[in-house]
Amino acid sequence: MTGLGFILYQLRRNPLSIIGITIILIFIVIAIFAPVIAPPPEGHINHYMIPRYGYSPTPKPPDAEHRFGTTQGQYDIFYGVIWGTRSAFYVGLVVIGSVLVIGIVLGSLAGYFGGIVDEVIMRITDIFLAFPPLILAMAITVALGPSLNSVILALIIVSWPVYTRLVRGDILSVREEDYVEATRGIGSSHARIILRHILPNSIYPTLVMASLDIGAVVLSAAALSFLGLGAPEGYADWGQMIQFARNWIVGLPGNPFAYWYTVTIPGLFILFFVLGWNLLGDAFRDILDPRLGKR
Amino acid sequence: MELRTYIIRRLVLLIPVLFGVTLLIFGLLQLFDPVERAALYVKDVRQFSEVGAIIERYGLDQPVWIQYGNWINEIFHGNFGWSKVVAMPVLDAIVNFLPATLELAIFATPLIIFGGIFLGSKAAAHKDRTVDHATRVGAIIGWSLPTFWLGLILLMVFYGFFRGFLPPERLSTDVSILVHSDVFTRYTRMNVIDAILNGNGRVLGDALRHLILPVITLTVVNLAFIMRLMRSSMLESLGRGYILTARAKGLDENSVVNKHARRNALIPVLTVSGYIFAAIVNGVVITETIFNYKGLGWWAWQSAINLDVPSILAFALFNGVLFVLTNLVVDLLYARIDPRVRLGAQVT
Amino acid sequence: MDALLTIRGLTVRFYTYEGVVRALENIDLDINQRETFGLVGETGCGKTLTALSILRLVPPPGRIESGQIMFDIDSNLKPTDLLTISEDKMREIRGSKISMVFQEPSAALNPVFTIGDQISEVMLVHRQKELSDRAVEAVSNLLATRKGFFSSFVRPIWLVQRKLYKIMSEKQGSLLIRFIKRIPLVRRLLWRIKDESEKMAVVSLKEVEIPDAERVMQQYPHQMSGGMKQRAVIAAALACSPKFLIADEPTTSLDVTIQAQILDLLRRLKDEMESSVLYITHDLAVAAELCDRIGVMYAGSLCEVASVNDIYTNPLHPYTLALMAAVPRPGQEPQAIGGTVPDPLSLPPGCKFHPRCSQAMPVCQEQVPQMLEQVPGHFIACHLYRGEASGSSG
Repeated sequence: MTGLGFILYQLRRNPLSIIGITIILIFIVIAIFAPVIAPPPEGHINHYMIPRYGYSPTPKPPDAEHRFGTTQGQYDIFYGVIWGTRSAFYVGLVVIGSVLVIGIVLGSLAGYFGGIVDEVIMRITDIFLAFPPLILAMAITVALGPSLNSVILALIIVSWPVYTRLVRGDILSVREEDYVEATRGIGSSHARIILRHILPNSIYPTLVMASLDIGAVVLSAAALSFLGLGAPEGYADWGQMIQFARNWIVGLPGNPFAYWYTVTIPGLFILFFVLGWNLLGDAFRDILDPRLGKR
Repeated sequence: MELRTYIIRRLVLLIPVLFGVTLLIFGLLQLFDPVERAALYVKDVRQFSEVGAIIERYGLDQPVWIQYGNWINEIFHGNFGWSKVVAMPVLDAIVNFLPATLELAIFATPLIIFGGIFLGSKAAAHKDRTVDHATRVGAIIGWSLPTFWLGLILLMVFYGFFRGFLPPERLSTDVSILVHSDVFTRYTRMNVIDAILNGNGRVLGDALRHLILPVITLTVVNLAFIMRLMRSSMLESLGRGYILTARAKGLDENSVVNKHARRNALIPVLTVSGYIFAAIVNGVVITETIFNYKGLGWWAWQSAINLDVPSILAFALFNGVLFVLTNLVVDLLYARIDPRVRLGAQVT
Repeated sequence: MDALLTIRGLTVRFYTYEGVVRALENIDLDINQRETFGLVGETGCGKTLTALSILRLVPPPGRIESGQIMFDIDSNLKPTDLLTISEDKMREIRGSKISMVFQEPSAALNPVFTIGDQISEVMLVHRQKELSDRAVEAVSNLLATRKGFFSSFVRPIWLVQRKLYKIMSEKQGSLLIRFIKRIPLVRRLLWRIKDESEKMAVVSLKEVEIPDAERVMQQYPHQMSGGMKQRAVIAAALACSPKFLIADEPTTSLDVTIQAQILDLLRRLKDEMESSVLYITHDLAVAAELCDRIGVMYAGSLCEVASVNDIYTNPLHPYTLALMAAVPRPGQEPQAIGGTVPDPLSLPPGCKFHPRCSQAMPVCQEQVPQMLEQVPGHFIACHLYRGEASGSSG
């Protein structure tokens, strides 16, 4: 029984999942209302570049004007993390969306038709998987020039094999079921069988995985930005902001935590964002697994 | 299908996959211009002045397949090019930096795998009780941590705050001098092992102190992952029919969990181990970068930032090979644990 | 005939998301020595749960709410209430005094261990003294017979082994032995125990008529057919000659021809071992063939209990009658029972069968009928009958 009521009941019973949902909802609100929460100053054209309030290379601690302080080059941290939420969602949704589409297409072909189509697709995924993902992503972003879009493209290229395999597995688990035979018996076209019968019955675990991977994708994107391969300097992106902070972690002699805000605040945003998705994911897995029985 | 046949078949399949990896790498290469690609064929810093000649000799402005053939040829002759970021031939760079990374991996990997399996089992066996909730929370937070952020925070606290108690890099300056001097023999170039072999306590202590933070950084995220996986795998295993049978036979809870449930639960965890390896490689790049720990990961990052094409490609190739081999080992272990894989599904 | 197992007032409830399920309600049941009792009923009526309750293996969220299960462990002792003894004592009973064979042999066997492993493990748990004695004997033999020059190198090892096996035989939970078992190389000294258990396992396999038993010992479950697997499961269940065997639909998942073979096997073994059997099935024909007495269950309660003869010649309960009529006979239309099995979350009040009963009376939906003895040895829980032969259930 996987009715909505049941899912809601299980979520209610699981306090961790409530925390997860709350966190994600908060972030969604922040993302939608970014222009209201952290309004861009007059004449600031590209909203995704953090406005600068000076040119001093030393970060300044939080005060009335800059709620979270400024980082080197006087970029406002508060603005950066708020608008960074939008960047995070953008990256997460685009990557996962694309990867799902590719995965469904290729995975269906491989799982449904089997034989040589399957072998070929599997070998190709093997090759991509043999590449350490970060290196591949690094190589792609270097080749294309560092930017957020390169990061997105790189992450898509790195992640599609996993989803192809997952969808393929889903299809395989359901392919031999009787109702598929029945549909074939009445002469439905392949596409119809896949789209209307096989996928709707098998794809939920993969969809769940995908929605939770949004957190992981954002983490990877942040890592790439941190390494300098992602968003350009001053862009509102959490990873990029931590990269700024790297030089300031040792603080001043006598006060090692002098610049804590440069590294801690963006990091906490990333942590909570990913945490929210992971908590939700955990809860979903606990709900779906035993109910699905043998799969 | 017999085990031997299985192994041979897998080894044979290795070749087209490696072939494919090199193709992929080479494909990436084409995105760079000929000058940068020329760096691949250079073994010595002096050769740079003859870039034009190199381009011509190796046909770098010629059709792709000829270039590919040339490149493969060079590789087979042991010439991987010149790494400009560290000013030495790529092959030397790999040999130079490998021990450092190996040392890190040797400490981190058992922690990750055995720690994860152990904690995951405990959590599953005591489901919904304190142990379970505590480890769950820990695991979820651990898995959500950005590795690089964790490293930075750790540095901030243990290096900045505790006045250099756990410092970055591999060795303190003075110990480093000692290690490179004649008094100390570098057998493996892995500091901890060498220190033991040399019977030198000072080097040992220093090396360990430098290793603690990077190892923690590397371990936390991956440990959390394995732990979660082991837990859910154990829970699934514990729900199976043979567990009820085992209990009905009068086996004590310990045997039921550790003998019957665990072996079955390990199977999916093992499958994932290959990906964990990839995660460790990723983690190594970030970790070494943060701690300025001069190993392969650090080298890879420097190369990436500075567009040092030969280095990037060599690192990628090296990793591709390693990954494929690791997968093979994993598959073999898989076959050893699961008799259905080993002996094929037959009915006599 | 004295009773081997006496169940009184067994009530089991499941606490689920959708509500509380009254899975078993006030079950009263007697099983006598050396008797085969058939528990019959539709899927979901609680037959398996009754069996699990006896072994105290009711899975959560189920709980045994109340009741008493008196088991005659040893003819020299008084019967003990299984629901009150410690878990340790219960474990001693499971697999050795009371055994269970499950419906799906593929699910019951662990795919990553050999058949031999899974049978010898029962021996290792319950027959340690016997195994140790045999080991002591084997080593003593060696010490007595092998006197050559080369054997003098091994003698000290043999002496140590013999000492260890003697300790194992006398002190079951010896700390020394437990300690040794944990040390990787030293514990190899105890190999004879495993060896003896394997010898005994082979004997078990031969008992259940598995051909080429030595080879089967090394095989894995997925390499065997359904019938063979079930035989192996039976071998493990009977390894310690239990006084009471519970067989939960052991042949339902097998081919009809194999079914016949397994039934024959069970019949023979039961006679040889002088044990009692609780045979759970939804197949009336099988029950008629194999059992001495039959109990009919519906929706968590017992309806009727009688000897197999009485049940088939003189069925009293409307449900029993309906079941008989539903069996297809040549020339006759099978008569399905009208209505459906009630939702376990909202059982009908009073007698649970009353909504589908052709002879329902007003009292049936108010009062739960008591189990009364209508004819000596024939018990029925139905308001149609007054229980002329007095007494409670059994």
